[in-house]
Amino acid sequence: MSTLSDPNFVNPLSLRSRRILVTGAASGIGRITCALLSRLEARVAAVDLDQTGLESLELPGEGHARRCLDLENVDAIPAWMAELALEGGPLSGLVHAAGASCVQPLRLLTPALYRKVLLLNTEAALALARGFQKKAVRDPQGGSIVLISSVMATAGASGAAAYSLSKSALHGLARALAVELAPDRIRVNCVAPGFVRTPMFDRMAALWDPAQLSRVEAAHPLGLGTAADVANSIAFLLADTARWITGSVLTVDGGYTAQ
Amino acid sequence: MQQTIPKQADRTVDGIYAQLAQILELEELTAEVVLADCEYWDSLTVLSIIAMLDASFGVHLTASELRSMRSAGDLAAAVEQRRPR
Repeated sequence: MSTLSDPNFVNPLSLRSRRILVTGAASGIGRITCALLSRLEARVAAVDLDQTGLESLELPGEGHARRCLDLENVDAIPAWMAELALEGGPLSGLVHAAGASCVQPLRLLTPALYRKVLLLNTEAALALARGFQKKAVRDPQGGSIVLISSVMATAGASGAAAYSLSKSALHGLARALAVELAPDRIRVNCVAPGFVRTPMFDRMAALWDPAQLSRVEAAHPLGLGTAADVANSIAFLLADTARWITGSVLTVDGGYTAQ
Repeated sequence: MQQTIPKQADRTVDGIYAQLAQILELEELTAEVVLADCEYWDSLTVLSIIAMLDASFGVHLTASELRSMRSAGDLAAAVEQRRPR
């Protein structure tokens, strides 16, 4: 990384030519992240189940890829990533933004329900990291993995047991992998967003009364966030701006957990 | 109870009652049952019912709409009226 006194100073947020895999790319935080990374000159490999959403994704620049993949088939993820690297080159970054929400009281929370949430939110993250670590997949200079967790990983809420379980596990996963993968110059961090206006939020908010929505908004001293607020933090952790940051959780919540 | 929302939901009125009975943990549920009198009738149960109606019947109800309904029969009638044909 260049220093400020270097006449050839390079913007440390630049992701020029770096290839970055983003899951959940068709909507919400993943979609906005793809758009931002492409504007930072990264080559994006956008992954989602939603083919139509992927096709409508606007990615300026060249070298991008769009792939339809069912991340619940976790066993197949590492081999699929090896194919992706073979086709388009090694990966410098990975963002796991795909996720499932779940609001269910404990008495109705069956193993089938919470395992489904864990599968996409947590187990897929682990499988993606396994795939990323392989020499045939990652850039030999190292890389950055960013897992999207949630304020629900550290703050409790009624009906959020499965979701909190899946997201708090990402924090432990990031810390363990940060230590294990440091010799390979792979950094692993989480971004923990508060409530952000995304299609997933809108689906949830549609179930609420206006008073409930007002309470959620009031719980964020800076108001509800946007997907772009979270995407900016993801880009920061992917780029050289975070080259000495690993095993951290970057909370991006408008003050939700500061109270 | 094995699953809150069956994969192949019974989309008849009986299906509404069956899933409602699961969520409210009642062995039997009839049209006359007063929702607010049920042991498990609380805000989280209301959210669970709304999510079930959305997932299984494609019907969107708000919490205040659901709370304004007196009986299971009122709820089933509203679902029947609003479900996509």
